[in-house]
Amino acid sequence: MESALPLQGIPRSPSSLSGWTYQERIDRLRTTKMRHTEEKWQVIGSMDMDDHAIILPPADSRQIVQVTSGSGFTMTDVLLKEFIPTSNHPSGGFFGAKACGENFRTLLAMHPTYVDPVSSLAGGYMVNFISYRNPAWNPDFDFSHLHEDHQKYRLHHGIGAVQHFCQDMTIGLELGWGGILEKIRRFRGINTDGEAQELYDGLEAMVLGIQDWIERHVDAAQDAAAVESDPHLRQNLNEMADINRRLVTDPPRTFREACQWMLWYQIIGKMYNMGGALGRVDQFLYPYYERDRREGVLTDEEAIFHLACHFLMDTSYTQLGGPDETGRDRTNELSYLMLEAAHRLKIPVNVGVSVGRAIDPGLVRRGVEIMFSDKTGIPKFLGVDSTSEGFARNGYPIELGRQRAYSGCHWCAIPGREYTVNDCVKVNLAAVFDVALREMISDTTIRPGTAELSVRFERHLRRSIDIVRESLDFHIDHMYRVFPELHLDLLCHGPIERGRDASHGGVEFYNLCVDAAGLATVADSFAALEQRVEQEKRLGWDTLLGYLDGDWTGPDGERTRMMMKNIPRYGSGGSRADAYGVEIARMFTRLVKEKPTPKGFQLIPGIFSWAANILMGRDVGPTPNGRHSHAPISHGPNPDPGFRKDAAPTAMAVAVAAVQPGYGNTAPLQLELDPGISRDAEGRAKIVDLIRTHFELGGTQINLNIVDRETILKAHEDPAKYPDLVVRVTGFSAYFASLSPEMRQMVVDRIVAEE
Amino acid sequence: MNSSGVVFNIQRFSIHDGPGIRSTVFLKGCSMRCFWCHNPEGRHFQPELRYFPGRCIACGACVEACPNHAHELREGVHTFFREYCLVSGECVQTCYPGALELNGRQMSVDEVLEEVLRDRPFYESSHGGVTLSGGEPALAGVFAREILERCHAGGIHTAIETCGDSPWHSLEALLPWTDLVIMDIKLISPEKHLRATGRPNDRILANARNLAQTDKPLLFRTPIVPTVNDDPEEFIRIASFLKSLIDTRASGNNQESDAGGIAFELLPFHRLASDKYASLGMEYSAASLDPPTKSTMCALAEIATTLGVTTRIR
Repeated sequence: MESALPLQGIPRSPSSLSGWTYQERIDRLRTTKMRHTEEKWQVIGSMDMDDHAIILPPADSRQIVQVTSGSGFTMTDVLLKEFIPTSNHPSGGFFGAKACGENFRTLLAMHPTYVDPVSSLAGGYMVNFISYRNPAWNPDFDFSHLHEDHQKYRLHHGIGAVQHFCQDMTIGLELGWGGILEKIRRFRGINTDGEAQELYDGLEAMVLGIQDWIERHVDAAQDAAAVESDPHLRQNLNEMADINRRLVTDPPRTFREACQWMLWYQIIGKMYNMGGALGRVDQFLYPYYERDRREGVLTDEEAIFHLACHFLMDTSYTQLGGPDETGRDRTNELSYLMLEAAHRLKIPVNVGVSVGRAIDPGLVRRGVEIMFSDKTGIPKFLGVDSTSEGFARNGYPIELGRQRAYSGCHWCAIPGREYTVNDCVKVNLAAVFDVALREMISDTTIRPGTAELSVRFERHLRRSIDIVRESLDFHIDHMYRVFPELHLDLLCHGPIERGRDASHGGVEFYNLCVDAAGLATVADSFAALEQRVEQEKRLGWDTLLGYLDGDWTGPDGERTRMMMKNIPRYGSGGSRADAYGVEIARMFTRLVKEKPTPKGFQLIPGIFSWAANILMGRDVGPTPNGRHSHAPISHGPNPDPGFRKDAAPTAMAVAVAAVQPGYGNTAPLQLELDPGISRDAEGRAKIVDLIRTHFELGGTQINLNIVDRETILKAHEDPAKYPDLVVRVTGFSAYFASLSPEMRQMVVDRIVAEE
Repeated sequence: MNSSGVVFNIQRFSIHDGPGIRSTVFLKGCSMRCFWCHNPEGRHFQPELRYFPGRCIACGACVEACPNHAHELREGVHTFFREYCLVSGECVQTCYPGALELNGRQMSVDEVLEEVLRDRPFYESSHGGVTLSGGEPALAGVFAREILERCHAGGIHTAIETCGDSPWHSLEALLPWTDLVIMDIKLISPEKHLRATGRPNDRILANARNLAQTDKPLLFRTPIVPTVNDDPEEFIRIASFLKSLIDTRASGNNQESDAGGIAFELLPFHRLASDKYASLGMEYSAASLDPPTKSTMCALAEIATTLGVTTRIR
């Protein structure tokens, strides 16, 4: 067992009869997490993504490798060197449900246990199974016919996308691992075709591996209890052993058991494919909370503690509050307690607070209070009316829209019923624009102009979305034979019953996400061309192309770059760039909704780059908005930093509300506010009004940072001095010190430019 | 009804200039010359050139553009001779890096309204609105009145921020369209006031008394400036004056300006304006002043409270 912390010298509360207050335990666990994080900085270096709460394996088991993340980032990862997956393919890879399930089971058998005597929950994950996938794609399924267009438009096309949809946790909480195993075996007898049998092999191997892993934690907790000198910690360890002995097979009965069950499911998901969105925890845990409170076996302090123990090991996305199917608000005590748990921890967790016409306004008020007091970019804010009403525009009843749960960076999904590839498909508008611009200028038969450019941009945008359609069909045709969604399949309605992976017909709804990225880059480029080239005639199209080819070098290069950049920009309000922003967003939305994929899968448009705007920028040369070659493209639907001198959040909120695609997927507003903005209740009320009004204007999500300029600049200079500084990078929040210099720069630019 | 005036800034999401989320329209021109002024861009009535050397890329375009030879480029270094500048603005048109900016531009009431109406949904949700500041709005005449009138008619809450140094009739002309008057009281001692602001204060205090006679919600503010008004002796005079105004009102209420009362706030002096002075080629006489400490601010607020004036520190 990995030892969590030395047990000597732990501060005790003299006033606490049980030896420890819950807050002392939280503080202690937080210190342990910081130790884990600092160790990761030393071994892995920067981590430009969710914290995921991974713990490094023991030093003598580590194998350090370079891998490409699902989002395309090259990152350092640490493998368990004892585990070598068994290949079932000449390429050396392992593919299909059986091979994936069995290899995963073997990995679990070697995976160390993790029991922290201070926590109420056992388990922690140390290794990413996906990092063993080499090659990740089965070369038998050839998509080289799409490569040229993928390259041309620099598409994040979605072939090979994993997870990014949401399970229905209640299935697991009701069945337990024993019940799930029974269900798999029952349907194995019903669905006897080859695809189903293969899937059941994989699912069964996974569940058996999980049960074995939990059992080993029972032993580990008992062993730790046997040598534990503190009677209270010993009791806690024994409780953990007892709880988990039951949970190997049985469903949870109490709130603590439900939290433990949920944690197992989540960390297995993280380990398998970084999956495991939480969704509406305050709803599905509420019956346990309510029963335990009624029976007097749970206090709110204890509930907060269990939730905090969960968040320490799993930072997944969760929605607080929000409507039920009928539109009635379901905010409850647990919604507030979860917010409180995040507040006490002050670590990167991803809780989103629902905001809507019928939703308890106290929740957003409390969220804003915590936001200003903690300055960790937590919580984020969810416009539940816009997203549910927007979803209904796809032809679904609004009741279904209201069921969609916030469960990822910028996305929602119907728990257990909807396959989405959310956040995995990005159309790089800047790359598409570049293709159109160069094609137009090189065409000697026409007179170049923004009207002509717009026509060509639309043509290439349509083509790029068509390529996405083909790619997604290809993905759905083959993914189940490459790397099926075994973990999410377990808690979805359909995969086990039908014997089909969720990526291959296992669930009811297929609403595939297609996001646009680089909106401001392209809107500003169009406006700059219109103003400087067409109207003012300050330079010709060929001259412009020369500057682009030379990345604005040459005697007048920097001045020309400044000229193109220094125009009324997208977000400034009433500018041509604002009009282009709206026009491009509408064009993108129209083209995405024009038709489903050739195989009939529906697409839903959003505007979001995630933090991949840095990566996508590396793929695009200089753009006419004065952007340098390979510099990041604009972030999400946001204006570029410096879009207005006063950087007014309302100006940004108006601009971003105006470009919403409006079909239920989001275009989140990213705001950075100075802490001085709100020193009192009156100031905080204004922030609440800002949030609510953005949503009333049609906005879908708000990511908000409260960071002061001085702190962020100092932290950028010497991140190690600010190990605790948590910022909201995009849809996710992270330790600032964990980010790469490039990613830190992006956050700094946003904050400093908006001063 | 579409007069025009010189505006040097329209700040959206302005949250310190009245209730709710607001847009503040800064009008150019003020009669006072407070040496610590936080908005020196608002002093002169006409536009002027601002120069930010840090942004200059020494491209020389301004040298070509200026009809009056106010710019020079020698050995790659740009020099701006403000004394030759007639503010034609031609250099600004060619200065793409933004090192040269026009401070103030002529805007029509329509243009101002177009800009401030963009945030109307935020005013509505937050009970905010539009604030005219400056400079001195009461000196902007019909332009200020028309902006207020149009906003007011459109159901938008209006406020003005005034130094009070205008003829009463100028200020009074704005009142029918103004929902809240925010007014500075800087000093009571006449000679100190003259020294610190360049203007006598008898008209200011008379205007304050006149305002107290109305039923208009009022918010008085005193910027606490070390060496100027942070000594208890002077501050007692200020607070006592405020008390006399509050007593003038039948309600005697100084809690909520919104509720027809007279509210009082203290604003600590800060040095954030120093870059503004540099860009305008103005001397910043308050450069050596330190902002008042929190304890000084609290002690002064306490004095006011003891005198029966509820006070808030911004």
